[in-house]
Amino acid sequence: MRASKNSMLLASLALWAGQAFAQPSQSPYSADGLYNLANSYARSGKLGLAVLSYERAALLAPDDPDINANLAYVRASAHVPMKPRNLFSRLGQATSPSSAAWLGVLGLALVGIGLVARRVAPRFLWIPGSGILLGVALIALAASNAMLLWPRMHEAVVLIDQTPARVTPAPMGDTAFVLREADSVTMTAEHEDFILIRTGRGLSGWVARANLGAVVPPVGSDR
Amino acid sequence: MRSIKVISAILCLLAPADYAMAQAVDGLAYETIEPSRIALGESATLRVTSFSRLKDVELPIIPGLVFENIGRSQGFDFVNGTAIPATFILIRVTPQFAGVFTIPGLTPNSRSIGLEVVSGDEPNPYTWRSQTPAPPPAPSVSLPKGVQMQAGGAAFVHLAIPTRAIYVGESVPVKIDVGLRPGIVTSVNGLPTLKGSDFTFNNLSKQPERREEAIEGSTFVVLTWHSALAAVKPGDFSLSAETLLTVKISTLSAADRAVASRLAWPLLQSMYNGIAPRDMTIGSSPSELKVLPLPTEGQPENFSGAVGDFYVSSDISPTSVAAGEPLTLRLHISGSGNFDRVDSTMFDHLDHWKTYPAKSSFTPSDAIGYQGEKVFEQPLIAAQPGEQSIPGLEFDYFNPNTRRYERAQTLPINVTIAASLASGSLDGLTGAQSLNSAPKGSTPGLRPDHPPPKNSVSELRPLYFRGPFLAIPTTLALILAGSWFAVRPSAARATSKAAERVLAQLDAAARAGDSSSFFEAARKTLLQTFAARWQMPADQITFEELRARLGTTGEDVERLFALADEARYSNYQPGGTDFQRWLRLIRGQLAGERK
Repeated sequence: MRASKNSMLLASLALWAGQAFAQPSQSPYSADGLYNLANSYARSGKLGLAVLSYERAALLAPDDPDINANLAYVRASAHVPMKPRNLFSRLGQATSPSSAAWLGVLGLALVGIGLVARRVAPRFLWIPGSGILLGVALIALAASNAMLLWPRMHEAVVLIDQTPARVTPAPMGDTAFVLREADSVTMTAEHEDFILIRTGRGLSGWVARANLGAVVPPVGSDR
Repeated sequence: MRSIKVISAILCLLAPADYAMAQAVDGLAYETIEPSRIALGESATLRVTSFSRLKDVELPIIPGLVFENIGRSQGFDFVNGTAIPATFILIRVTPQFAGVFTIPGLTPNSRSIGLEVVSGDEPNPYTWRSQTPAPPPAPSVSLPKGVQMQAGGAAFVHLAIPTRAIYVGESVPVKIDVGLRPGIVTSVNGLPTLKGSDFTFNNLSKQPERREEAIEGSTFVVLTWHSALAAVKPGDFSLSAETLLTVKISTLSAADRAVASRLAWPLLQSMYNGIAPRDMTIGSSPSELKVLPLPTEGQPENFSGAVGDFYVSSDISPTSVAAGEPLTLRLHISGSGNFDRVDSTMFDHLDHWKTYPAKSSFTPSDAIGYQGEKVFEQPLIAAQPGEQSIPGLEFDYFNPNTRRYERAQTLPINVTIAASLASGSLDGLTGAQSLNSAPKGSTPGLRPDHPPPKNSVSELRPLYFRGPFLAIPTTLALILAGSWFAVRPSAARATSKAAERVLAQLDAAARAGDSSSFFEAARKTLLQTFAARWQMPADQITFEELRARLGTTGEDVERLFALADEARYSNYQPGGTDFQRWLRLIRGQLAGERK
């Protein structure tokens, strides 16, 4: 009876996950589509929107050379420095987040199956042992990818040139400093129509929400 | 007493006369409103003048007007120099919104009057009482030819139209003069209208021009409206204008007025000096207008029907763009004529340019839209980079002054189209120096677009951070953990591991020559193995049991158990080969258990 209940619970979880993934896409994103969109923004002089679209495209296809090249070019044209990526970043982002996530699931399965196999069959222990090692490597890859992506969940691009970062989250608040178009900032808090940002130089200020574009837009939002 | 009788007799004699007079003047009343044109926020005074015993009047209900009774008084009204007793009722009229209102007569025989309410600070052309110092005397002029006084010499209307023949579609200005004698004409009820079929008229100018002129010894206020008309077909036509006025008119003949002037008693005079405002329509004399058809000879193929005198020019902005970027070509057409027939067909010949629908705007330079400037804005997109030339634009129209078709043409315009940004230049967005001339490969640039995407995702958030996806590894982990706990480890494997450990221990004891430990461990291991195999306690395994279950091998095992005791008590030391023989026996028994 207990095993039957557990099976039903697991089946329900799997069904829920399947239904969630089977939902029709409301605002489909694709690396190529975002890349082409970024190119059109760049041609029309909207560097902030171009960088934002390139960043989003790079999120889906981090190893695409065209995306990285155009992103670097537009950033250079906007006189916005680009942060160099270290070896760990390059390894962690060697594959797309989706692929890394599924590889992590595969690694988890390999580790689990290897452990169970070693418990069941005492002979040829090197086979489950190898599977466990491979699984651990895949899980490490997925974990590092997720760790690298986590900061980008809170990253935003400045869309308007000379965007003021204010001391207080109010339209009439004093200006602490000014951001350039296509600057990348980190969102740390929000209050009504303002977002508290932190720049790469460690400066913090409140910026109007309309002047920023989140690299990972909230669900149901285009920005 | 006698005097009382005399007075009574007089009153009796006067009573019929007074009754007759009351009957005669009963209903003789009129209304005036001052001023008849006010601005929103102001009030006008409506005065009801009655020559009878008027008690009260019922205030009308008109949407947009608020009536308020101010007061009532008695006095004399001067008509043609004669004072007539009258009753006055004053009513304040306050508008709520702009417009032209008609107030019906408040007494049975009075006529309706008009009130025009304008918004803002527009000047009041009907305000004949100026607050400024006395104006200079009005210039003395004579009536235009063919214009006749109407309303007893109190007003006239003059329609001025071109004396020359006009062409079909040609827009020509017209002018309507309305002359009024202040004091006699109390109000102008509405705008003048043009009478004539087969013509289209522009709206009259909103504000008439006002001037004072002395005509035939009397001062007239002349109001002038402007408009434009266009004929829709050729032929000879007659045009006239008319307007509705309210004029104070004496209802008596000249003989009656002469009699009344001789009467000494005002009460009796009033019987013979009837006067009342009257609404009347006065019109101008008909004007003849000849309309000619447009000549068919020499008519351009692209003629759109524009008739007038036009000038064209063009400009473009910006003059330097990247390929694929839009620029705006503006065509300015100024002059006079029927601008409504000026269209954008001149843009139809812009080959090698991608065009979008043009927008147009007209800015009149006069009140009737006869003169002005029409601007067309045509968005253009160049497909190819390089020096491009926009050809001159041609505009065909008919000029009624020269009586022939004419063509206005703009000069060609040169523009510089830079290479598309997609091909490696960011000039358009940064203003930097052009990168196109740099050698290919050494110059970074925008790489070209990718093919249309085939696969897409519903959101950019990575899978790790989505709830539905996290359910998958969670479910998998739960399944594997459950399986790990559900599956029992193999007993044989556990035994095998214990046996391996014991054999290793025995081997070590044999190499060290420790016979006591070797045989004691061997006996213990074999007893545990046999006990597990035969499901019986180890201390109940006897030599008979060994021989019965193992046969000849049981004797060897028995011997091994005996050696264990011997080694323990007599310090028995077997040779190296003996240790190996006993090890093979023990390994064989343990292996038999695995099988």
